[in-house]
Amino acid sequence: MTPESSTYLVAHEVSYAYPRRGRSGGLAALSGVSLGVARGSFTGLLGPNGCGKTTLLKLMAGVLRPSNGTVTFQGRVLADMPRRAAARHMAVVPQDTHPAFDYTALEIVLMGRHPHLRPTQLEGPGDLAIARESLESTGTLHLAHRPFTSLSGGERQRVVIASALAQQPEVLLLDEPTASLDLGYQLEVASLLRRLSREHDVTMVMATHDLNLAASMCDALALLRDGRLLRHGLTADVLTAGSVRELYDVEADVHFHQAAGHLTVTPVRRAG
Amino acid sequence: MAAVACRGAAPPAPARAQRIVSLVPAVTEMLYAVGAGPQVVGVSSYDHFPPEVETLPKVGALIDPDTERILSLRPDLVVVYGSQTDVEARFKKAGIQTFNYRHGATDAILGTLDTITALGSATGHEAQAREVVVRITTGLDRVRMRVAGLTRPRTMLVIGRLPGTMQGLFVAGGSGFLNEMLETAGGQNVFEDVKRESVQPSSETLLRRAPDVLIELRASQPAGDYQAGDLEVWNTLASIPAVRDHRVHVLVGDLVVVAGPRLAEGAEAIARTLHPDAFK
Amino acid sequence: MMTDGTIQTAISASLTPLRPIRTRLALTVAGFGALTLLTCVVAPLIGSSSINLRRAFDSSIPFAGNVDAQILFIARLPRVLAGALVGAALASSGVVFQALLRNPLATPFTLGVSAGASLGAMLVIILGGTLAVGPWSPVPAASLAGAGLAAAIVYALANGPRRVMSTTVLLLAGVTLNAFFSALIVFVQYLANFAEVARAARWLMGDLDVGGFDPILAALPLVIVAALIFVRLPAALNLMGVDPDSASSRGVNVASTQRWAFFSASLATSAAVALAGPIGFIGIVVPHLVRLLVGVDHRIVLPASALFGATFLVACDLLARTLLAPVEIPVGVVTAIIGGPFFLWLLVREG
Repeated sequence: MTPESSTYLVAHEVSYAYPRRGRSGGLAALSGVSLGVARGSFTGLLGPNGCGKTTLLKLMAGVLRPSNGTVTFQGRVLADMPRRAAARHMAVVPQDTHPAFDYTALEIVLMGRHPHLRPTQLEGPGDLAIARESLESTGTLHLAHRPFTSLSGGERQRVVIASALAQQPEVLLLDEPTASLDLGYQLEVASLLRRLSREHDVTMVMATHDLNLAASMCDALALLRDGRLLRHGLTADVLTAGSVRELYDVEADVHFHQAAGHLTVTPVRRAG
Repeated sequence: MAAVACRGAAPPAPARAQRIVSLVPAVTEMLYAVGAGPQVVGVSSYDHFPPEVETLPKVGALIDPDTERILSLRPDLVVVYGSQTDVEARFKKAGIQTFNYRHGATDAILGTLDTITALGSATGHEAQAREVVVRITTGLDRVRMRVAGLTRPRTMLVIGRLPGTMQGLFVAGGSGFLNEMLETAGGQNVFEDVKRESVQPSSETLLRRAPDVLIELRASQPAGDYQAGDLEVWNTLASIPAVRDHRVHVLVGDLVVVAGPRLAEGAEAIARTLHPDAFK
Repeated sequence: MMTDGTIQTAISASLTPLRPIRTRLALTVAGFGALTLLTCVVAPLIGSSSINLRRAFDSSIPFAGNVDAQILFIARLPRVLAGALVGAALASSGVVFQALLRNPLATPFTLGVSAGASLGAMLVIILGGTLAVGPWSPVPAASLAGAGLAAAIVYALANGPRRVMSTTVLLLAGVTLNAFFSALIVFVQYLANFAEVARAARWLMGDLDVGGFDPILAALPLVIVAALIFVRLPAALNLMGVDPDSASSRGVNVASTQRWAFFSASLATSAAVALAGPIGFIGIVVPHLVRLLVGVDHRIVLPASALFGATFLVACDLLARTLLAPVEIPVGVVTAIIGGPFFLWLLVREG
């Protein structure tokens, strides 16, 4: 953990249990996880289903409040920050988005301006310009007036990313941003994220199932299993055959792929 | 035309009904009036007159007659509403005579008299029934004579209203029993031209029809001080002559609304309200 | 900053035709506002009979003896204003409930508020309560109480430990409560006599003929309170309409928005139902017609629906009171005859 990371976005011993109606206690999703994210880094959260990736992401975004422990952003406790203030610093890209109403892509993107406006304030030319930039940088400007629901999966995800960018965040928290996309769109979104991370100095935290995606994009990885942090460090150090076995009970071949330029993971068999 | 028919499976020489169940309050009243009261063994849940019926078994009413209960009373005559055809069929199947009662839209008063006559013969009280009919007829004639030649005030009979508001208004239309009662009592229904038994007029229609007299019929009086204040809602419609001239009246009780043996008294009550001077 | 030279120049023009939200909002409010104003001016001039306007405004004739003035100021004007208030309240709470439940087919009555109001009204009509509360006469007072009870029950059920309401629980609780209250209404009616049942049934069909300004003035403060809350909601409702979690990550306090939305929409609905009975279909037909015209942005849909709801109900009531004069068609029947087929068309179209 770099010194800077300890003052940027940090989870301190956070635990979270999903409350259950009419019962005391709850379903523990995360217990005692400490994780520091360095400014400008691209961190991947890896682990099997139900390991607590999404919960950790929501805690780091301030969408959920930890049952125990704290999440701090630049030294401030996230739970004590107004939602609006926190949202000016960090944006979330969910796995998929199903609006209940037929918004246009532009309307969705403009909603990213929400934390920067007062409740009754309408967005002005400045906000529209930022929305346009966000659409441009995700290559979706031509879709601006199309109903969101009429877009393909890849287009939707790019529009949602544009909406998050319109928030002008310093941190982007992504929850399996490519999971519901086919291979072509996966590559498209991945390259978009890589470019955004490089060009805009946005700190990224991404929960994902896709080890190769993580290997290709992330500087650092955090491995979670059963709500606990197994390991956290640089990708090259953490992504090993041993880690994959520990995480998924799968024997895998991990080696550096020259053409791709990053580590690749090839699952071989279920570990005995 | 007789609006009431006796359609039982009665043989030509009718057996006198000895055990009667009546699902129709108006008919119950008629049965007692013709002297068949002792033969009544069950009444509807809405029956409250004459007071004797309170001790009799209550067997449901228009929408919920308790067939099992009725059969257990071993009746030989069941009085049903005209619309209760399925109930009627059920009793016929059980070999029980039925008496089908219908409100008439036209000649409702005559229909009531015919019903009384028919009930008299069905229960073996022909003479008493004739007496009742004559008493009602002369009673009505007496009312007609009192009001004959007097100006017939344009009247509105209010049957129902949501308390404290002018909403949910039901008034007597230009056909049916209440309209005939009003005419007999020397009034002219402001809704004479609307040939329905009841009308739900808007306040604009009220203002336009501008009744000279307004009579609210209530089965029972609301409790407490509320009643006085409740009539004040009419004051909003100040241009209505009835309101302006303080001729908004309330008639409490079922005397007026039941098409039964007391209808002459009901007509008189309306007449007294419309023409107080004629009864001094 | 973010640039992508290859496509920017080609497509930058595509944002130009879009009018900024300020302009769209101003145009929409001006357009629908003018329509509402026109309806509210014209509707009092038409009725089951014709009135002499000069006589109506002739101050030399005492009001008590001026039938034209009385028809205009007692029969028609309060009716039109009640229609405008109720229409606006039901249409705008329809919009808010649809956003809160994330379901475009929700209505102001989905969560049982109107069933509770109806039960209250039925109890007074049939059991004959006589307790007037402040400016409210007994039936509206009881219907207000019933609506409040229903809202409180649904709220208590849906307000889970996460403090964020579950829309599923809200919907299920509402549907169940509707069925439960309907059963109680049927039971109360079953115990009543014919005249009471008839009056009760009439109340359920809706009636705007309130006979004066007092009932409107009694309902107005509640609707105003609701409207003041509505003003602050649309941006948050937009985001919650996209996704509640991402709304939270965009700075929306979801739990508090839900609570305010639920409270204000329930309040407006209760006031409308207490004033005029449960007039159906306004809360779904109007928002959908408006969305077809101006898009789905709640900042525009909400005020436009309020204005168009007023227009729509005043127009429906105009039909109700003139079509079969002197006999009236209950206004709830008119809205249902227009709204029912429209609703079905909507289902087919969206399905």
